[in-house]
Amino acid sequence: MSASRDIVESGPARIGTRAAPARPRFAWLNSSKGLGLVLIMPALLLVIAFFLAPVILTGVFAFTNMSTATGITGGAYQISPGALRVLTDRYGMGELAERLGQPTYVVDEQGLAALAEMEIDQDIIDGLKRRLGETFSSRRDFERVIRDLPTRPNTRTVKRISDAFSRSLANARFASAGALMSAAEAIDPELTDDEKAALREATYTGWSWTTDNFRRLITSPQTMRILFNTIFFVAATLLIFNTGFAMLLAIATHYIPDRPAGIFRIIWFLPRISPAVIYVLLWKWLAWDTGFLSAFLDNFGIRPRNWMLDSAFNAWVFVILINGFVGASMGMLIFASAIKAIPQSLFHAASVDGAYRWQQIRHIILPHLKWPILFVTCYQTLSLLTSIEQTLLSTDGGPGGATEIWSLAIYHTALNNYAGNLQYGYGAAMALVLVVIGIVLSLLYLRLFNYRALIIKPRIEH
Amino acid sequence: MTGHLKTWPIILALSILSAPLVLMYAYLFIDTVTNSPPGSFIPNEFTLEHWAFLWHTPPGRPSIWRVTFNSLLFAASTSLLVIVVSSMAGYVLSRLNVPARGFFLAGVMVLHAFPAITLIVAIFLVLQMIGLYNTLIGVILVKAAIDMPLGIWLMKGFYDTVPWEIEMAGIQDGASRFTVWRKLVLPQVKPGIFALWLFAFLLGWSEFILPQVLAPSGDVQVLSVYLASLIADDNNFDMALFKSVGLFYIAPVLILFFVFQNYLMNIYGGGSKG
Amino acid sequence: MRILLDKFSKSFGAVKVIEDMTLEIKDGEMLALLGPSGCGKSTTLFAICGIHKVTGGRIYFGDRDMTDLPSQERNVGVVFQSYALYPHMNVAENIAFPLRIRNLPGAEIKRLVDEMADLVHIGNLLDRRPAELSGGQQQRVALARALVRRPNVLLLDEPLANLDAKLRLEMRSEIRRIQLETGITAILVTHDQVEAMSMCDRIAIMNAGQIIQIATPKEMYRNPRTTFVAGFLGNPPIAFVEAEARDGMLAVKNADIRLPVPPDAVTPPDGTPVIIGIRPENLGPEGDAIIRGRVSFIETQGRENLYDIKLENGSVLRSIQRVRDDISLDDEVEWRVRSDRLFVFAENGERL
Ligand SMILES: Nc1ncnc2c1ncn2[C@@H]1O[C@H](COP(=O)(O)OP(=O)(O)OP(=O)(O)O)[C@@H](O)[C@H]1O
Ligand SMILES: [Mg+2]
Repeated sequence: MSASRDIVESGPARIGTRAAPARPRFAWLNSSKGLGLVLIMPALLLVIAFFLAPVILTGVFAFTNMSTATGITGGAYQISPGALRVLTDRYGMGELAERLGQPTYVVDEQGLAALAEMEIDQDIIDGLKRRLGETFSSRRDFERVIRDLPTRPNTRTVKRISDAFSRSLANARFASAGALMSAAEAIDPELTDDEKAALREATYTGWSWTTDNFRRLITSPQTMRILFNTIFFVAATLLIFNTGFAMLLAIATHYIPDRPAGIFRIIWFLPRISPAVIYVLLWKWLAWDTGFLSAFLDNFGIRPRNWMLDSAFNAWVFVILINGFVGASMGMLIFASAIKAIPQSLFHAASVDGAYRWQQIRHIILPHLKWPILFVTCYQTLSLLTSIEQTLLSTDGGPGGATEIWSLAIYHTALNNYAGNLQYGYGAAMALVLVVIGIVLSLLYLRLFNYRALIIKPRIEH
Repeated sequence: MTGHLKTWPIILALSILSAPLVLMYAYLFIDTVTNSPPGSFIPNEFTLEHWAFLWHTPPGRPSIWRVTFNSLLFAASTSLLVIVVSSMAGYVLSRLNVPARGFFLAGVMVLHAFPAITLIVAIFLVLQMIGLYNTLIGVILVKAAIDMPLGIWLMKGFYDTVPWEIEMAGIQDGASRFTVWRKLVLPQVKPGIFALWLFAFLLGWSEFILPQVLAPSGDVQVLSVYLASLIADDNNFDMALFKSVGLFYIAPVLILFFVFQNYLMNIYGGGSKG
Repeated sequence: MRILLDKFSKSFGAVKVIEDMTLEIKDGEMLALLGPSGCGKSTTLFAICGIHKVTGGRIYFGDRDMTDLPSQERNVGVVFQSYALYPHMNVAENIAFPLRIRNLPGAEIKRLVDEMADLVHIGNLLDRRPAELSGGQQQRVALARALVRRPNVLLLDEPLANLDAKLRLEMRSEIRRIQLETGITAILVTHDQVEAMSMCDRIAIMNAGQIIQIATPKEMYRNPRTTFVAGFLGNPPIAFVEAEARDGMLAVKNADIRLPVPPDAVTPPDGTPVIIGIRPENLGPEGDAIIRGRVSFIETQGRENLYDIKLENGSVLRSIQRVRDDISLDDEVEWRVRSDRLFVFAENGERL
């Protein structure tokens, strides 16, 4: 015990010799606040970049007409035939449109310089110089003038010369409104402000702000159909599988020995852990015209067909089955653990009473599942409302849009369709509807599950 | 309580209900290594021809190994990002006295319930604008961000189970809050971090819609997108090939699931949505 | 090192837990903070070691004001009720942790860890994980880890609460031995009066966030300042009866018992209601004042018996005596008390 004696002897005197370490270099890392802010920063950045910003941007994009045609960055100004038509039809400026659309020949310095480059006879250049500033509205008129020059160039040279003076704006593309205006003014110096504004708008190829998306969303008969599909899909899947069938599984596995119960739980878990692509592929194997179902039913004289897509009814059956099998597992787990948590004494009391199994279920199990059912319903409503993978991969909304649900419609509008014309703005408007529903419901859940109970003040206070 | 009632009718009923699922998964295995005569589902020969995709790349498609590597990279990066970010933020929510802590907690709960997939249009456009469209980095960031709220929530739960006294003792021993977290608390939640990593890895490995929309083509294709495009190609319908690729794709998931099912069931049952 | 809490108060939000507590612990002393559950013992401890911020008042170690220093710079050793060993480190690493943090050289750390392990008698356990140790062994490790960096103060928060009775007895003397050998200033939080009396130099009795009395165990037992203190110390506990001052004597209410005023108390004016405290060991065959009653309960404790006797007015007194065969349940007895061992309290509980 020499060691301890050493401590005794030197005890009080040496107290403090191994006193606390000097303040660490990053002292702020030592406070709750400092360390907390550092540790939460990455999460915060991700939230801002991939939740907050997209929510706002969904709202912003919903008020644009962005599409594959307009592009998503800024656009250019192009005097296309379409733009000229707009100028005529919408602004009633047919005359201006005609002028801009026609080929025009202007004798200017630029053209003369080009001639010099092309090593055209100096006499011709001089001859044309005399007519500097003149404008011709047709090629024939201008070429007649050239041909009438004293030097009389041959036909090929006349063509080359006239080309050098061609100042047509048809199909010309300008990067900015300024460039467009100066080009237009070269042809028609007396453009009014109204004409300029009209020209600018008619020729703009990029996207612009609009509220049309919402008008379209409200008035389109398609919207009603999709809305109805969505409500039907969510309600049916939720009721039949996510709660109903899940409960059946949970209760049934409760009444059988642990081993088989475990096996059934694993089987019913497969849909959830399987990647959607494969899971749906297996259903396709079951349903396709050369698939299992067709081959099996063939034995009974039923004509083989693609069961998944041959009628709207069958398509719905499969969509609900496919989504429901995935959804059932969550409810199954949650209900099963809720049933497990019911005190055994309740069951014993019941069996002494001579209650049969279904009475047990009705009077003991179901009352205990009230909260879990509410929880599952809440969570799964939102996830069904926004689920897309399984339906996209199985029916893709078919046949003929019969199983097109809201989230899938967004995908088809804005992200991927056969026509290749993606309407980002309209898709964003549709998405905005789901975003708003999502925010409202998740805030509602927060109320429902009273998060305040979860917040306990940290016990270390600095 | 169940003693006087027979259980076999229930087992029978459950077996019948589960039969389609069992059938589908059984044939996922069977069809990849056998051929059956037309119109029948009883195999009559053993073959490995359906697995030719492993060494023979069909024209116009990326090599399976390239795609597998992408999937691996995608799943590994997202899961890594998720555990790093979540284990940091979860600690803050569980233990640290930061300003607006209640607000952060509520925020995580809301984000956890919020269906991030609805934001995909905006995210798609933003990635195009900033040039991350059709890059792995882009989808990785997006996927990690989407999985993160659940991760933070789970990690907070794991941290909540670590006794406060351990942290108090650490502080008394002179360790800074950072050291306490790094050296004393993190080691206690290692199993939790592993479970979260596994979960996030499987989520990433299985993800379809995000890469399909945000990084669909060529060099950055992942397995799910590759398989989906294989199936969607009407010119080459070969169910046995699809299943072989599918089995190749799902095998790691099944193996990890069977080995670690207890870890995973807890997470699936406890907090994940879907 | 001397510790001084100067008008220290602590509240959690609107809940005031401790108000204006002043407490001095002398250098090298071991002080017990004794009180019922929820009275603020742990809160006081947490304030001293810096886990809580104080709401008011100052905390001094020696002459140094520690009030605003973070825990890490206070150099306080704490042993928690749950020991709080780091489960992922073995015993040696646990003990070495505070030294690692201080960046001591490896050889030095090893030497100090061995030295400390010897002191607390766990030299043979250094490679084990905490989960592989018994409660008493974990306790020793926790002690070693708290002491190895030579803290200014050692704080023990109910260190024995998780041990079984036999181990508790053993660790009681062990902790005291180690405290004496190291000469460290220590505060022991407990709600077990036996622990407090047997281990500590002085006891501070707390109730509802206030210190009621500070004294040596003996002094406190002999001379409790209030009924609360008197009731808290002593096992079996003291018994109280209500009485009234009459003619310089104390007349027990509704009973024909009159007791003299003890010599150390001021005689209250006639008619003053008082409370008389009688410890069980002071009621028996000897004494100068007579108490009559009926034996209502007999508890055998082995060497001694505890007798409850019920007075006329229904109140119950306790007497502890060697086992006697001449007394059985429902016997009428006439016992005595020594009047100089009586405690007389005013109605509000203050000693007269
Ligand atoms: N973080 C807190 N927030 C609010 N009140 C608290 C907090 N911590 C403790 N209290 C309250 O302060 C009072 C004193 O608590 P403390 O833990 O100091 O009691 P204790 O004397 O150590 O009791 P025990 O013997 O049970 O450990 C209790 O009434 C308790 O409810
Ligand atoms: Mg306490």
